[in-house]
Amino acid sequence: MDENKMKNDIRKMLEDILPLVDFDSDFLFAELDSLGITAILMTLSKAYDIDLESPDVTPKNFKNLDSLVRLVETKIAEKNDRQ
Amino acid sequence: MTTIEQQVERHALSTPDKPAVVSCGTTTTYAQLWADVCRRTDELRAAAAPGRLNIFRATADKKFIVEYLSTHRAGMVAMPLEKDLPEARLTALRNEYGTMVLPPADDALESIADVLFTTGSTGRQKGVMVSYRAIIADADNLISSQGFTTDTTFIICGPLNHIGSLSKIWPVLALGGTLVIVDGMKDINSLLGLFDRSGQHLATFMVPASLRMILRFGSKRIKEVAKNIDFIETGGAALSQSDIDGLRRLLPGVRLYNTYASTETGIVTTADFSQGASPAGCTGRPMRNSAVTITADGRITCSGATVMSGYLGDETLTRAVLHGGTVVTNDLGEIDSDGRLHIKGRQNDVINIGGYKVSPQEIEDAASDIEAVADSICIPFHSGIFGDTMKLIYVVSPGCMLGKRDVARALAAKLESYKVPRVFEEAGSIRHTFNGKPDRRFYLTGGDEKSDE
Repeated sequence: MDENKMKNDIRKMLEDILPLVDFDSDFLFAELDSLGITAILMTLSKAYDIDLESPDVTPKNFKNLDSLVRLVETKIAEKNDRQ
Repeated sequence: MTTIEQQVERHALSTPDKPAVVSCGTTTTYAQLWADVCRRTDELRAAAAPGRLNIFRATADKKFIVEYLSTHRAGMVAMPLEKDLPEARLTALRNEYGTMVLPPADDALESIADVLFTTGSTGRQKGVMVSYRAIIADADNLISSQGFTTDTTFIICGPLNHIGSLSKIWPVLALGGTLVIVDGMKDINSLLGLFDRSGQHLATFMVPASLRMILRFGSKRIKEVAKNIDFIETGGAALSQSDIDGLRRLLPGVRLYNTYASTETGIVTTADFSQGASPAGCTGRPMRNSAVTITADGRITCSGATVMSGYLGDETLTRAVLHGGTVVTNDLGEIDSDGRLHIKGRQNDVINIGGYKVSPQEIEDAASDIEAVADSICIPFHSGIFGDTMKLIYVVSPGCMLGKRDVARALAAKLESYKVPRVFEEAGSIRHTFNGKPDRRFYLTGGDEKSDE
């Protein structure tokens, strides 16, 4: 999938459910609360049919929108490798 | 009866090196905690008279514990507020209450220890006065019913201005156990890592939304550390039957408590749903300092040593809710043949968000202050993502441009974070009753989507 398209899609989805969060921030993890983290995990796992678990919730993975895109790409690749 | 502060002083002498508080990567022993409390008490005594309110943010760290205990030891009244409270609101509260004095009672245990803000039974934000008598009785209820011990290490991951988490420091410090304080649940990985400590009799309190988060994203991890967990308590909101069943499957051998409590009533009933039949809404029998009855119209009443002393500065409201030591709530319930309390809902418009009671009118008032909002209604909403939350349906004034992000940010600048709705919807109009009020009944009985699941 085109990375820019994925980034735009993820931004659109997440801005819709978390209108208070600034997804241009490089301090995304600090901006989020526990329900915000849950919302992102649920939205991304459902949209891309990937398994996300508590070990994926790290400040590095939730640093900014680009790091979330990389997390999704990694999970998709892992899923494809298993199939 | 001795206060929590007197118990901490005893532990500082008898077990000085035992960890009392762990936060921000630092362990504070009972001796160190008591030394900090004594130092801070001297500062407070020099600055303010007994009975004055000490208004401070409930930060998730040792500093809060020191401030809270020192306030009591100085004879002042603690008014802990949400740690992220907008600065303007904090200033307004300090201006309103900063000079107020609540004189000590003749019976020291009846003196007011805390004023905790809640929306509670009446739909209006007010300060609930909690006495030392109530705090001691709450601690005793929890110790006798849930098995807190001197070996308990209790992980606090909720807001310390709310009775759900605040009430857990009382039994732990009374017994000389250990508090581990973390700043919320968002770092779920680190939080679950705290349970990876064998032999420490771990326990925690989580609202149902947090338990759901664990079930969905942390089930593998918590299963690995379940052997270290003595018990988990929940309360404040409804725990679904599927989550009850999921927790029982995931954590066999861990005691799981569902508790009925509120700021006004104190900690009243609890049920261990890891044992026997566990229907959703069952919160068990009254604990030993409490009694529960149901009124003719189905409302839960609570009496006993844990109940509040009244509402700060509002005797009329106090008389409306507190009748001869009995709190008449707006929660609806039933008591079964085994004496167990079952929660059936609420009688008024107040919306329960993870244990916080929110008046929809307050949110609508805040929305009406946004220039481009012509009208709005705030309703409870069940979100597949957020659980039980609020939805604001709003109408944009003609000729104005306003997105949900603008509305959310304007509300966040004025309100405590838990009062900001999670779901927003723009509408062409809001339906009203004949007398001009938002037609809540219409929206609650099918006039609008109440769930996205």
